[in-house]
Amino acid sequence: MQLKIRNLEKYYGQFQALSDVDLDVGDDEFVCLLGPSGCGKTTLLRIIAGLEPFNSGTLELAGKDLSTVSAQHRGFGIVFQSYSLFQHMTVAENIGYGLRIRKTAAAEKAAKVQKLMALVHLQAFAERYPYQLSGGQQQRVAIARALAVDPALLLLDEPLSALDARVRNDLRLEIRDVQRRLRIPTIMVTHDQEEALVMADKIVCMNAGRIEQIGSPKEIYSHPRTKFVADFVGISNFLTPAMAARVVPQLNSQAPDAQHLLALRPEDIAVRMTETAQARVTETSFLGNVTRLTLDLGDTTLLADSHHSEGLKIGDAVTVSVPPDAGVWVRA
Amino acid sequence: MTVNSSPDFAAAPRKAGKALAISPIARILYLTSLWVPLIGLALFFLYPLVLIVQRSFVQRDGMIGIANYVDVLSMRHIPGVIWNSLVMSGLTTLICVVLGFMIAYFLQRTHARLRWVISVALLLPLLAPSLVQALGLIFLFGRNGLISQATGWNLQIYGLWGLVISNSMYALPQAVMIIQASLRQSDTRQYDAAMMLGATPWQRFVDITLPNARFGLLSAAFVCFTVTITDFGNAAVIGGNYRVLATEIYAQVVGQMNFNMGAVIGILLLIPTLMAFYIEKVAAQRHTSGATEGAMPVAPDRQPLRDISLGLFSYGAALFLIAVVVTVVYASFVTLWPYRLDLTLRNYNITAQGGYAPLWTSLIVSTQAAVIGTLLLFMLVVSQRRLGRGMAKAVYLLAIVPVGVPGLVLGLAYILSFNVAGALPGLLYGTTLLIALCNFYHYHSQGFLTMVTGIRAVPPQLEETVTCIGGNSLHGLRDAILPVMLPTLVAVFFFLFMRSMVTLSAVIFLITPQLSVGAVSVLRLDQAGFATQAAAFSVCIMAVVMIALGMMKATLTFLERKPRN
Ligand SMILES: Nc1ncnc2c1ncn2[C@@H]1O[C@H](COP(=O)(O)OP(=O)(O)O)[C@@H](O)[C@H]1O
Ligand SMILES: [Mg+2]
Repeated sequence: MQLKIRNLEKYYGQFQALSDVDLDVGDDEFVCLLGPSGCGKTTLLRIIAGLEPFNSGTLELAGKDLSTVSAQHRGFGIVFQSYSLFQHMTVAENIGYGLRIRKTAAAEKAAKVQKLMALVHLQAFAERYPYQLSGGQQQRVAIARALAVDPALLLLDEPLSALDARVRNDLRLEIRDVQRRLRIPTIMVTHDQEEALVMADKIVCMNAGRIEQIGSPKEIYSHPRTKFVADFVGISNFLTPAMAARVVPQLNSQAPDAQHLLALRPEDIAVRMTETAQARVTETSFLGNVTRLTLDLGDTTLLADSHHSEGLKIGDAVTVSVPPDAGVWVRA
Repeated sequence: MTVNSSPDFAAAPRKAGKALAISPIARILYLTSLWVPLIGLALFFLYPLVLIVQRSFVQRDGMIGIANYVDVLSMRHIPGVIWNSLVMSGLTTLICVVLGFMIAYFLQRTHARLRWVISVALLLPLLAPSLVQALGLIFLFGRNGLISQATGWNLQIYGLWGLVISNSMYALPQAVMIIQASLRQSDTRQYDAAMMLGATPWQRFVDITLPNARFGLLSAAFVCFTVTITDFGNAAVIGGNYRVLATEIYAQVVGQMNFNMGAVIGILLLIPTLMAFYIEKVAAQRHTSGATEGAMPVAPDRQPLRDISLGLFSYGAALFLIAVVVTVVYASFVTLWPYRLDLTLRNYNITAQGGYAPLWTSLIVSTQAAVIGTLLLFMLVVSQRRLGRGMAKAVYLLAIVPVGVPGLVLGLAYILSFNVAGALPGLLYGTTLLIALCNFYHYHSQGFLTMVTGIRAVPPQLEETVTCIGGNSLHGLRDAILPVMLPTLVAVFFFLFMRSMVTLSAVIFLITPQLSVGAVSVLRLDQAGFATQAAAFSVCIMAVVMIALGMMKATLTFLERKPRN
């Protein structure tokens, strides 16, 4: 079972919402579509669901063309950010809705609903209505409802964005756990890079309707290929080849060409207090485990992390040092 | 207008408790603007209502008891009349809700073309006195109707069916408005989720559309029931021998001065309203977390079979509504309907029933109602903003109760309260002011709800900012509230004006031999056998209302163009 997307394009009138999208989703893979608001994540998800038509390209599941199959018959599960529970049905009725549509036998349906309610820890709430549930509980119901029909593919559109931080963290782990246990290929949309890094097997980083890079969380974080990815996932300093040669002369790698920038993570930059100032601290912010410094190098500024023990203050004169294998060259 | 008792007070700044240092003038201003409207409601709405309740329980022997109820219900013909009214209103409600749902669905969920035809058609019944529908039906299908004459059919339009059809035409626009509003609230993601689970279009309709619309449908049903069970105009014109409560009460109270019976029936007529309020309350609880903010509206789609059948009903109903009013206008210019159809202005030379004097009275009454009403409602919503949550809710509830009181009951309550010799309240009887007040409180709730919607658009911070930079409350009013509220004030003003021009069911009790209004003239002319003159008179009323509507649209356009700051 494999979802295969090739050369997909989508226009809203004149506006191109998706260009040249290629994507594969393998068996029991958890894929995150990550990107800023408005970059086309929801549009892509809705096209995969069959809720939105597309202009050109191919969309296949296990070698079968999906463009002729309507959303109603694709057999996928979907969960939205909110508002999608049936307000006049109880938790059990919501979860059992897909089975009712499929005319599943009553006993089998009841057993399945029971199992799913246990899976998402909602047994005690079977007879409640959505308006009697918290946001996190409502999303659990939505997930169970989507899972009830044994979907070939699970689609999640920012399912956690409307929840507060604590609940969000719990549900992240829960969703991942359920997905691993049921081994359902899943695509989740998010604009939260931390969420994508924590949950995904594979991150699809999108920008302005295009896919910038696809890779494991580790690859995306440590080997971003474009400036956008390096900037959107984590924090980076960017140096032109000329500046890099001056600030990090000991660097091993060479710029492939003049269009590339060196992306340096703040944690790659070590800072020492010295007499002969290479840079000056202009700002410090406390981040808990480290202190983030803003350094003024005359023609550029750098962000660097330092341990509290160094005790650097605004105005201190410092020298920076970078390990020779640090940094990645990215396309501007 | 829906009997909505689920206010959203989130927008109101919570400034209850100890006020900050406030200048004495501002304080007086605030107290005045809170208490004057409330005293108004107490004197001209609650007092009459309490009086009618009390009257219904005071027996002939002076004791308190239910003897009046027993008396009324044991009058030989009354159970029949009550039954007739229930059947008539029940049928009307059924037609309005079913047809109203079809039209609302057609407008809201399909790619309907020529929407304006339907909008215009639905506007017409609001522009004319309620009996115009009956008048038009008679011109078409009555004994001397155009169609009856042309075909030779005897359509038996007088009686139950004529009444049901004309009342349906009268109540349909309100049903469509309420149901359309409830359809508008649905979120497309519910439909998407159901579709992904394999639901067919029909299953989505049954499992999502209908359940989501059910409170709208209920609301519409109650409104249709309340406005038609007591409607006077159509019943008097086309009811024939089919006796209903409205005409019966009128005959008993005005004809035979049987006030106790009037009071009893008035109370009985409040029962559907009490039920409506209860159901709305339950509905409001359920609705709270089906949060509508940020909802994605359901996009219209195409399903040929559905669209064609809905279109057939919608355009059919619209054309019928238009045809009936056009017939009235046409008849008003005809020499001898339907035998000599050459055009003339003779029908407009009205001398019977006081000639055009009642039309001027209507203008005065409507202007008074609009001025007083707009002012009082504005004062009420502005001061209500500063109340604590509990108080604000109490005021809100009080302000929307009038919507559930049928015009006829209010009119009855008014004569019980104000048609008293000598006493202070009696001074008002027979003045245009009393009729104006009656009209205002009759339509109090709709005006109030519009005002509340309007004032929600005024950011509370804006008012506070004005105060912080040194302005007093008056400045806040002038610079923060008024500019944003002006379109709302205009809308409320003309709404009250237009309703006062055409309403009949309450004022019919308040007119005196010296003082009558336009809508009553139409009725009297028709009853006196001058049908085409009645048509001419209603055309005059419609003209006034349409001019008012035009002025409202023009003012609103002007206000929108003017940059507001
Ligand atoms: N129905 C629509 N009609 C026109 N433009 C749309 C529509 N839906 C989305 N868009 C546009 O397409 C772009 C991508 O939208 P969306 O996929 O919702 O972004 P995301 O989910 O990444 O925030 C946005 O610029 C949005 O304005
Ligand atoms: Mg989105």
